[in-house]
Amino acid sequence: MGKPLLQINNLKTSFRIGDEFYAAVDDVSLTVNENEVVAIVGESGCGKSALALSIMGLHHELNTKLEGEILFQNKNLLSLSTNELNNIRGKDMGMIFQDPLTALNPLMRIGDQIEETMKNHYNLSKEEMKKRTLELLNKVGIPNPERTYMQYPHELSGGMRQRVVIAIAIACEPKLLIADEPTTALDVTIQAQILDLMRELQNQMKTGIILITHDLGVVAEMADRVAVMYAGEIVEIADVFTLFNNPLHPYTRSLFNSVPSAADGDRLHVIQGIVPSLKKLPRTGCRFSERIPWIKKEAHEENPKLREVEKNHWVRCTCYQHFDFPKDAEDLHYDIS
Amino acid sequence: MTFLRVENLKVYYPVRGGFFRRVIDHVKAVDDITLDLQPGETYGLVGESGCGKTTTGRTIIGLNKATAGKIIFNDIDLTRLKRRQFHKYRKDIQMIFQDPYSSLNPKKRVIDIIAEPIRNFEKLSPKEERRKVQDLMEKVGLSPDSIFKYPHEFSGGQRQRIGIARALTVNPKIIIADEPVSALDVSVQAQVLNFMKDIQKEYNLTYLFISHDLGIVRHMSDRIGIMYKGRLVEEGTKENIFNQPKHIYTKRLLAAIPDVNPEKRDEHLLMRKEVNEEFERNYEKYFDAEGKIFDLKKISDTHSVALP
Amino acid sequence: MLKFIVRRLLIMIPQLLLLSIIIFLLAKAMPGDALTGQMVANPNLDPETMEELREKLGLNDPWHEQYIRWIGNLLQGDFGISYVHNVKISDLLGNRMANTFLLGLLTLIFAYLIAIPLGIIAGRYPDSWMDKLIVGYNFVSYAIPLFVFALLMLFLFGYTLNWFPTGGSVDVQVERGTWDWYLSKLHHLILPSISAALLSTVGTIQYLRSEIIDTKLKDFVKTAKAKGTPERKVYTRHIFRNSLLPVAAFLGYDIVFILGGSIFIEQIFNYPGLGQLFVSSISQRDFSVVNILVMLFGFLSILGTLLSDIILSIVDPRIRID
Repeated sequence: MGKPLLQINNLKTSFRIGDEFYAAVDDVSLTVNENEVVAIVGESGCGKSALALSIMGLHHELNTKLEGEILFQNKNLLSLSTNELNNIRGKDMGMIFQDPLTALNPLMRIGDQIEETMKNHYNLSKEEMKKRTLELLNKVGIPNPERTYMQYPHELSGGMRQRVVIAIAIACEPKLLIADEPTTALDVTIQAQILDLMRELQNQMKTGIILITHDLGVVAEMADRVAVMYAGEIVEIADVFTLFNNPLHPYTRSLFNSVPSAADGDRLHVIQGIVPSLKKLPRTGCRFSERIPWIKKEAHEENPKLREVEKNHWVRCTCYQHFDFPKDAEDLHYDIS
Repeated sequence: MTFLRVENLKVYYPVRGGFFRRVIDHVKAVDDITLDLQPGETYGLVGESGCGKTTTGRTIIGLNKATAGKIIFNDIDLTRLKRRQFHKYRKDIQMIFQDPYSSLNPKKRVIDIIAEPIRNFEKLSPKEERRKVQDLMEKVGLSPDSIFKYPHEFSGGQRQRIGIARALTVNPKIIIADEPVSALDVSVQAQVLNFMKDIQKEYNLTYLFISHDLGIVRHMSDRIGIMYKGRLVEEGTKENIFNQPKHIYTKRLLAAIPDVNPEKRDEHLLMRKEVNEEFERNYEKYFDAEGKIFDLKKISDTHSVALP
Repeated sequence: MLKFIVRRLLIMIPQLLLLSIIIFLLAKAMPGDALTGQMVANPNLDPETMEELREKLGLNDPWHEQYIRWIGNLLQGDFGISYVHNVKISDLLGNRMANTFLLGLLTLIFAYLIAIPLGIIAGRYPDSWMDKLIVGYNFVSYAIPLFVFALLMLFLFGYTLNWFPTGGSVDVQVERGTWDWYLSKLHHLILPSISAALLSTVGTIQYLRSEIIDTKLKDFVKTAKAKGTPERKVYTRHIFRNSLLPVAAFLGYDIVFILGGSIFIEQIFNYPGLGQLFVSSISQRDFSVVNILVMLFGFLSILGTLLSDIILSIVDPRIRID
């Protein structure tokens, strides 16, 4: 494992709803090392995408409040001006977005969209830029770079477009890549191709990757380390083998048991209740407690912190020690509202 | 008696071109597929986007027109029926749609959404209707008091259950579920899938379960058909498909699903690579000269593969 | 592209034929005919002479015979004669067509010159004081009827301040074709075109504003920012171009809209164009002229929609016409 590349300390990202700010990412600390793939797993609304956008500084300035520190190359990204941030974005860190159908400008040729990244950071001649772009297109596995260079996004399939999105992100060989659900919108065979490509590029370029996903299969295939997020907090973090062999936090275990391919048995586990909305998020105590009501109150910590329960395996709250799945879950009748 | 049989179904869309916009070619969305559904079973129809699985489902309930072929339900060919006659059978086959956010009319109250099929097919007094809707709401695990709410007041999983309640109102025999959980989070998916299994037992329902997610299809289905480019490449029991896949496309699809065991990561990647190489190498073995998929051939009582 | 245009032009033929029949029948259904107007102008005409004239002009034939004669002439480029002015309609139209075209063009240019910057400002800084001011202007310009506003402008800048002429299309004392003559034409055009332009910006401004606000949230804008593209370039290169698409698509329709508006404007500013001719022809029951004008307006509006489609296919690579 390499040196620390990105260090997030006590990050809190709050969004404005009406006149109030509500934290979508709450006190998150995370380190990403060089040449390491860190997966962030959770369901929609857990704050994983908000975390990614916070690192890239892509949130709406007026409606977002960012607190804490994001240290990258000895600079705190949160204290940089937009201009200073623009010198880093695209050059030292790149982002891969979820939906390749909307992530590209429909009115710009593919070549121009890739070259824009280089134009922002390098001073290259036209010919050199084109040469590099064609190399990039070749590198991300586009069969006919010369032709694609002149094409518009709508002329390419979803998988090809996602390759272009990746080419844009790696155009300046960044040290950190943030991939926000990079394969969710794609078919399985295309997903496999894109994951293969990302792995290959990572081996070549030794990039650190933050992989945001809800798909445990993708995590198992790609990640070195995994952080599980629930309601804005990291509830468990460990290396991928430990987490899959010995998941501890009740949320992690519930998540595993609700996925058909990972669950054992005929019935899938259903997590009771619903993910609370940003406004209704519990701010004190164990945030998952209301979804496991059969666990006694005393089992939870009053002020749950991440604790190292074995080497490099961190779990929030003590309730994991007392957690077990209910015997015969009458899952349906819990959410009669 | 045949329960539901789709026989040599073809759904073609015309491609127009030239100066007078004449039909110059066809897009063969569904190109000659045959499948049989037995009462009470779940048939999983799997494939990637554009393979024709959704078109097949929509054609069975009459949302698309069949270009050729038969859809036989209880010994009657539905494609031959006039609109009015078809209406009679329409209530026996219901559909659950993919997106719980757009498939419920946002301007209607839940009671009106769920009661709509009743109003189309049965005549009930407002009081009876209300009782029936409330019963159904309870059945799908929603509060009977919330029948006057609007769809936006429910979560995604709850909405999908409203969609299911709507399909259940007229006591259908077959439910066509088109990617019913793709838009939902995993834990909510689990809730809807469990629930679909429960009501299947209770009402002796037959499912045509359309999905791109092999994990979910494996969990739900008794038999599975794999579709590719508008045709079936392989059909068999769950065990046939997952344990003895014969067609290279099925193998490729299976290999593409990430393994949830990180320790088998390298093994799995190697296997995927081998399958993909075989796909390239032995293409002619599985597809004819024009790249078309062969007709299905039986290789055992339950298992058919499209091989020459 | 060429194929598309030819096909669309061919589709126009039945559309225009249908339009011509409707117009013709409507004109016939109106009380009075071409000669009624003449009788008003010359009370000494006796009814018998009128009847002879009617017979001679074929006005007593069944309608379809008259129609076929009319449309046949029309196809050969013979628009007929105006019974009121007693001149060939083509002569009547010539100058006025140029006048109306100039007026329309200038109105369009002014309208876009005003609307696009305002729309961009409002969309880029929504809820700022500038945006509020612009939205306020939108409400006012939408609420004021054109004829009230035009009269106000005429009174203020024409009569009170005396900056612009109050009628006509050119100063009669200036020799035709000289530099001064062109200047005088422009001088006559400015007030009516600005008046019309100021009131036809609503759609463009609102569209542009909401498009920009929407586009800002699009994923590809995030992609652009993630590349490290400076804010200013994110706007010029990504947001504005995409937001201008629907505006460009409306250009063709705008042409029709402005033609329609010319009827009021020309009447109020006493500007000798097609609109003014249209109004006066109706009041004088000069049906042969009215018919031709309606046909012309119909033709132009169909042409406008065609133009919109062509423009859109040029600016948006996703739309391919063949």
